This record gives sequence, C-alpha cells and structure tokens, in this order.
Amino acid sequence: MKKVKSFLKSWEFFLICLMVLVCIAFNLKDSANLAAGLAKKDVFNFANIIKSLRPYMLYSFMTLGMMLILALGDMDISVGAIATLSVVVLAVLYRALTVGGMISGLAFALSIAACLLVGVLCGAINGILVTRFKELFPMIITLATQLFFRGFSYLLIGGETITFKDDTFGLLKNLNSLIDCGSFKLPVMIPIFLICALVFFIVLHLMPTGRRIFAIGTNATAARFSGIRVDRIKVGCYIVAGLMSAVTGLFFVGATSSSVKADIMDGYHMYAIAAAVLGGFSTDGGKGSVIGAVISLFIFGIVKIGLGTLFGFADSSVNLSVGVILILSVLLPNILEDVRNAQRVRRQRAETAAH
Amino acid sequence: MQTKKERKPLYALLIEHREIPLLAVLVLLLVAISIRVPGYIPKSYMNVLKNGSINMVMSCGMLCVLLVGSIDISITAILAFVGCVAGKLMGMGAIESTFLMFVLGIAIGAAIGAINGVLMSYGRVISIIVTLSTSYIVRALIPMSWLMGMNKINPTDLTPSFASFLTGNIFLGLPLLVWMAIAVTVLTGVFLKYTRTGRNLYAVGSNAEAAQMRGVPINRIKVLAHVICGATAGLAGVMWLSFYNAVEKGTANGNEMFTIAACVLGGVSVTGGYGKITGVVIGAVMIALIDNAIPMLGIGNSMITEFVKGILLLFAILLNVILQRIANKQDLARRNI
Repeated sequence: MKKVKSFLKSWEFFLICLMVLVCIAFNLKDSANLAAGLAKKDVFNFANIIKSLRPYMLYSFMTLGMMLILALGDMDISVGAIATLSVVVLAVLYRALTVGGMISGLAFALSIAACLLVGVLCGAINGILVTRFKELFPMIITLATQLFFRGFSYLLIGGETITFKDDTFGLLKNLNSLIDCGSFKLPVMIPIFLICALVFFIVLHLMPTGRRIFAIGTNATAARFSGIRVDRIKVGCYIVAGLMSAVTGLFFVGATSSSVKADIMDGYHMYAIAAAVLGGFSTDGGKGSVIGAVISLFIFGIVKIGLGTLFGFADSSVNLSVGVILILSVLLPNILEDVRNAQRVRRQRAETAAH
Repeated sequence: MQTKKERKPLYALLIEHREIPLLAVLVLLLVAISIRVPGYIPKSYMNVLKNGSINMVMSCGMLCVLLVGSIDISITAILAFVGCVAGKLMGMGAIESTFLMFVLGIAIGAAIGAINGVLMSYGRVISIIVTLSTSYIVRALIPMSWLMGMNKINPTDLTPSFASFLTGNIFLGLPLLVWMAIAVTVLTGVFLKYTRTGRNLYAVGSNAEAAQMRGVPINRIKVLAHVICGATAGLAGVMWLSFYNAVEKGTANGNEMFTIAACVLGGVSVTGGYGKITGVVIGAVMIALIDNAIPMLGIGNSMITEFVKGILLLFAILLNVILQRIANKQDLARRNI
C-alpha cells in the first residue's frame, strides 16, 4: 500500500499522467477533425505515432549521456558538437580510405570505429579539463570545447556537404529503417534505444557506480571523503556522454540519407537537456531517474507529432510547447512545495494555539 | 611603508586586474594580424567596431546577469523577436518615429527579461532552464499568425530615416551605432561601479546569504539584472534591424554563446560576484576582431574562425585559472616566511 502511495506521488507517475492527458487531448482533436470532415482518416493512432517518432528519437541517445552529467551536477553543452565532429571524421576517413583503394567494407568498419573513438576522445578531453580545473564551471569549459569541436569539423570539411551513394555506406540507413510487426511498423531505433536505456537504468539505479554518481551530485566533497574516486567517475561519465553523442551522430547520418555537413546537430544539447530535465534530473545534480527521462522523450515526440500533424503547426513553432512544458515541469513542483510548506506552518500554528 | 607598497608583486597586479593578460593577448593578436596583412588596423578598424557593437550592447546586459550568478541564453531570441515586432509595426505604418522604435524595443525586451527574472528568482527555477524555455517560446511566437505573423522583415518595411539611422549619422568620425554601444557600456560601467544598486549586484553574486542579512532584497536585485539584460537585448534587436535592415525568425541563432564568450574572456566569473566592464569591452573587441580578421589571414578555409575562437576562449579561461593558482601559492609561501 505504501509503495503504491509513494508511486502515486512520484514524478514518473506525473509524467505518465501528462502523457495520457496529451494523448487524450490529441485523440479528441483527431476525432473532431474526422467529424468535421477536415481529415479523411484518423492520423493520431498508435501505428502512426510509432512510425513518425523516428526524427524525434535522434537525440535520445544523447539524452542518456546527458543524464549522467546532470546527475553529477554538471552540464555538458558540447555534446552536439561532439556528434558533429565524430560524424565528420567518419565521412572524411571513409572518403579518404575508399579513394585510397581500400575495400569498402573494411574502410566502413574502420571509419565507424574512428567515429566512436572520436566521441570517446572528445568526452575524455571534456572530463579531464573539468576535473583538472575545478574552479571553472563545467558549462564554461564545455562552451569553449563546443566552439573548438565545431570549429574543428569546419576545419576538416569547411562548408561542403559530403554525400555517399555507395551501398556500404548505405548500411547506416538501416538504422533508420522500420521493422514490420504486423499491425504497426516499429523503427529499429526504438528497441536499440530501449536496450541502451535499460543498461543505463541498471548502472544508474541498481549498481554501486550509480549510487556513487548521485552521491557526487549531491555533495562532491562528502563523496570524496567517503572514499569515492570523484575524478575518475567524472571522467568516465564525460567519456560515456561523448560516446553516446557519437552514436547519435551515426543515427543522424542514417536518417539524413548519408550526407554530412559541419553545421548539423546544432542546438541538440538543448533538446537533450530539456528531455532530461523534464525527466526529473536537475542541473543541481543528485536526483533524477532513467524511467522519467525515457517517458519525457516520448512525451516530447508525441507532442511534436500531434501539434505538427493535427494542428498544422510548423516544426519550429512546436518548440513553443517544448518551452512551456519545460518551464511548467520545473515550476509546478516548486509551487506545490511552497503550498505544502504553508499548509504545514498553518497546521503547526493551529496546534500551538490549541495547546 | 612607502617602499612596501611599491613592492607589490607583479602577479598580484595581474590577479587584481584580470584584464591585463587579456589586453596583452589582444595586442599580440593585433600585431600578428598587422604583420600578416599590412595596414590592417587603419583599413578595417571601422568594420570591427561596427560588427562588434551589437554584441557589446548585449554583453553589458549579460555582465549584469552573470554578476548575480545567473545566466541568460534567451538574448538572441529576444533580439529576433523585438526586431520582428518593431519592423512589422513600422511596415504596417503604426510607428513612424525612430525614437519610438528604440523605446518599444527596450520595453519589450525588458518585459521578457522581467518574466525570466521572476521565474528564476521567485519561482526558484534554474536560470539556464528558464531562459532556454523562454528562448524557445519567444522564437516560436515570431511566425504565429495571431501575432502579426512576421516571418521576415525586409528593407522595404522600414522608413528610410530608420534604415540609415545608425550607419548614416556620423558623429566625431564614428557612426551612431558605435556611439550607442559606447553609451550603453559607459552607463553600465557607472551603474555597476558607483550606484548602490550596482554594488548590490556584486553582493548578491558573491554571497547571497550575507547580502540578505545586510538587507539587500536579493530577489528584486536578481529580477533587476534580468530586466537590464532583456532591455539590452531588445535595444540590440532594434539596432540589428537598423544596421542590417533585415530580421527573420532564425536571426542570430546561437550568437548568445559569443556574448557569453565575450564576458568570460573578459574575466567575468560565471558563478557570480566578479567581473568588470573593462574586461568585457576587451573580450567583445577580441571576438569582433577574430571574426573580422581571420578570413583575411588566408590560413585554411574561411570556416577557421570558430576554431580560433574556441581555442582562444579555452586558452583565456585556463590562463585565468592558472594565474590565480600561482598567486594563491605565492601568497601562502609569503605568509610562511
């Protein structure tokens, strides 16, 4: 009973309610559209949502990495630039190797490895800088490294767009394909993402490492005195965030028909932060849950699809809803807490008056 | 006593005035560019000043926000929004006077800044989340049909006197655009240094609890900082419209990072409580200089600017930290002897 009660009070339950409410609202609008004869068939059904989630799941991998950083109480705004740089390295290396006469399969494998390695390296640079220069805010360091990484990708390919037409590179497109599941089509991305999220859930909530990460986020000094290797864990988290950014880059290339430019994925760090914050992570660190982040990713996807297809909002205007949700999601708990505190004070006063 | 005062060590001076090493880097940069491109300074100082002044105006507001330990990444969204609203109103013929445009811009900007500030201080939401959300919302409001639906402002929407107001009027050899940036900078500097409210910004940023004990209304000060930042962003929006004569939905997207970079380069602490207007000026000039000069150097492709900016920013902030560490160590050593 107690468990049920605490679940009803939890943030995840609120997110699930929010998702259900959003779905109901969109369904009503959808049936209203049908009744008014504006649409020929219902657009907002399960199969359609699942299918059109693809473009909105791109930054989900980045969000997983960002969760670790936010749990530490830091912020990494270079993740988008890391994704770009790793993809640019992938494209440049693949082009150089195939022009050099290497078998395309081998070149492809090497380039993918290099891409992931670049993600790891960039994350390691961030992590080492953050732990070596503790006086500086991690946000400022990653702001500088963001300019640096993006500038490096401009340095490598300038303003050109690299596009590959061959089949081997086209393998990446499989990441954007759909699996036929009978009544609906499931994007390949979603099961992969859910498996990744499960791994993150196990590490963050069920293993000592995760407890340590949250401990560092709550109080880094206390964590250090209780024998946690703060620096090592921090560098590890930044490396994982870099790696997940590189993975996001791979999915992005798959989704955009194998073309690579130096200004792609600009602003993705903000989407990742938004999703993680709605999921219950705080930039102060020390709290949050993977389940909440996953739910909030789906909420963002559903809201964007609904507003786009049903209300005909332009893609950029959908950001309006993202902003409102984001502000409310942080503001509402604060207001609730204020109300609860006021109630407690009033009760205490009444008790002392009664005595 | 006199001799002791004179023997103030060099590093202490460097720490007290964090902008000195930055100035040295700026001079070095200028010398390097002048060697590579002969006659660079007389040829393009005007362009550097012109292109840097809008960023400079926004940096003044950003300085106030950073001083109270907060941050505002919605400034470029405010810039685009204000530019679009003002331009649309002028295009519809609702506003004719140039003066009214600036008043309107500053008012709208200040209003959005006030929303930011209230949510941040009274609502206890972290500033980066608040301003991220408002930047999404404000940018998304621009093309909404119920709000005039201003997708793009063209030069034809503007009255000729407004379109040439900032660049056409030249006073003492500098266009009004630059004078406006100078005026905002001086005002901010005086406000921060000599008024009680300005000193309170520093107090709130360095130790909010202590400031509250001394009777500083910290929430009101934080709102004020955000209002100033919003107002400068609004002013920058009208300036942008008058300078480039065109604004659209995506204008200046991502430029807020360069404003923050100008402040951080100038030695402003992001945790609040430390920062000087002189440093910010040097930082903004440096950013404008890099923007202007790197393409002329002929190294690599024209896209190298971002790379150089990133390296320079990283270098500057790390240099600051290392200097501070050396100073602390020397201080300890001196006390032991």
